[in-house]
Amino acid sequence: MNSSAWSLRFENVSYFHEGQDPILENADFQFPIDQVCWVKSEEGEGKSTLLQLIAALELPKIGDYFINDQSVKEMTFEEFLPTRLKIGYSFDYGGLLSNRTLKDNLLLPLLYHRLVPTKQAYQKVNSLIEMFDFAKFADERPAHVPGRLRKLTCLLRSVVHEPDLLVMDDPFVGLGLETSEKFISHLKDLRMQGKAGNIFLSSYDDQLCQKLNPVIIHIDAGQIYQTMTEVNKKVANL
Amino acid sequence: MIKVVQTLDQLGRTLVMQFIYTWQILSMVYLSCRATFLDQAQGLRTIIGVLSAQVYFTGFQALPLISILSLATGGLLILQAMSNLTLLGGSQVIGSFLIAVFVREVAPLLTALVVIARSGTAVASELGNMRANREIDALESMGINPLSFIVFPRLVGGILSVVGLSFYFIAIGLIGGFLLTQFFHKMPIQFYFESLLKAFAKEDVFIFLIKNTASGVIIFIISCYQGLSVKRSPHEVPQVTTQAVVKSILYVTLFNLAVSALYYLSRLQELGVL
Repeated sequence: MNSSAWSLRFENVSYFHEGQDPILENADFQFPIDQVCWVKSEEGEGKSTLLQLIAALELPKIGDYFINDQSVKEMTFEEFLPTRLKIGYSFDYGGLLSNRTLKDNLLLPLLYHRLVPTKQAYQKVNSLIEMFDFAKFADERPAHVPGRLRKLTCLLRSVVHEPDLLVMDDPFVGLGLETSEKFISHLKDLRMQGKAGNIFLSSYDDQLCQKLNPVIIHIDAGQIYQTMTEVNKKVANL
Repeated sequence: MIKVVQTLDQLGRTLVMQFIYTWQILSMVYLSCRATFLDQAQGLRTIIGVLSAQVYFTGFQALPLISILSLATGGLLILQAMSNLTLLGGSQVIGSFLIAVFVREVAPLLTALVVIARSGTAVASELGNMRANREIDALESMGINPLSFIVFPRLVGGILSVVGLSFYFIAIGLIGGFLLTQFFHKMPIQFYFESLLKAFAKEDVFIFLIKNTASGVIIFIISCYQGLSVKRSPHEVPQVTTQAVVKSILYVTLFNLAVSALYYLSRLQELGVL
């Protein structure tokens, strides 16, 4: 499946955390494809939840979510696995396996599912470690490294298998400007190679997000809307 | 009258909740086995890696504590049996007494309690912290099923450890306890072991296996279930760990009681008393 074959659709989706106001209420939405989508909302309106729904880590309480016209709700873990392996997800905090080194965390998705031969997996991970210059800490466990590296490793783990659909929750927080720019440049390289075609991210950093020329998706009053950035509007008006 | 109805209502609600809880943990046993057999990616090497670590921490590292406990319990029971049975004039039934009390009842229960205290708490808090730190979600996001990657190896490792520890408990308690009591009360070794062998029956193997296997399942599935029930916050971890201990003790004790009760009822039936 290439990235352009993807389709992501919410049908009458409602989602709520117990005892809280609903985040989505009967939301119908066809997500833009082959774009970088920047999810925005007021604080606490459900950006992280929406990203988890898009990555199928959470399921709609009511309604359905279709990835490539297949109902996510109806599939078992095993049935969904082939699609799951084409999705990368990074958390806003946490997410690294604490009993594994940073390098082992990066190797895990590649080696567990034997996505590439072992030698190639090590080459790939080593080149990422070199690119982002943290070889000194690669064999340390997450608790023993600076927070910036934990965040970076979590981000790199979501792209190490070069997914078609990449979902990142607040990717730049705690990363530092230089590393964030390097990561954006890496994402652009991946997209040039036809990988990570569909990116969904949430962030409060306007400057960094604008560098990815995103389409903006808003959550407001339980509904999802798409708006264009100024740059995209100009392109659309040409 | 209203108070009686309210009490019955409360009792009924508690029973229903316990029934639902039992159903959920049994479902988890099934689902973790199912996930392991359906998981094409998870090789035997991964399972054996986690399983051997579990056996090491639960089984091997508990040996010193189990040794002390079994020596003390075995020694005390032998001493009590020798003094009291001699007074009653029936020291030849010491074997039957030790098999009935030590092998069938004390060893499985005390082993289970040690494992709950040492490993049940460790597993529940480890998994709780993994959930709070989003490691479980991360595994799911990488297409790794936590039920096969985390629960199944801990379950199997736990069962093997409990069975092994219980066997060790019995061996150390019966042999070491006998040697220990020789300082206080001399008893011919041949008499002691002949009495034990005479009392030992094939049902004891069955009771040993069923009690210890079930204890392993109960302790580790409850600990995993409670650990994974953490929603988001690390402050839930101590709460679920306490619940894991309480529920494990409750279920293990009730199960042991049920097996013993059924066994002795069947014995009474065989003897024609019932």
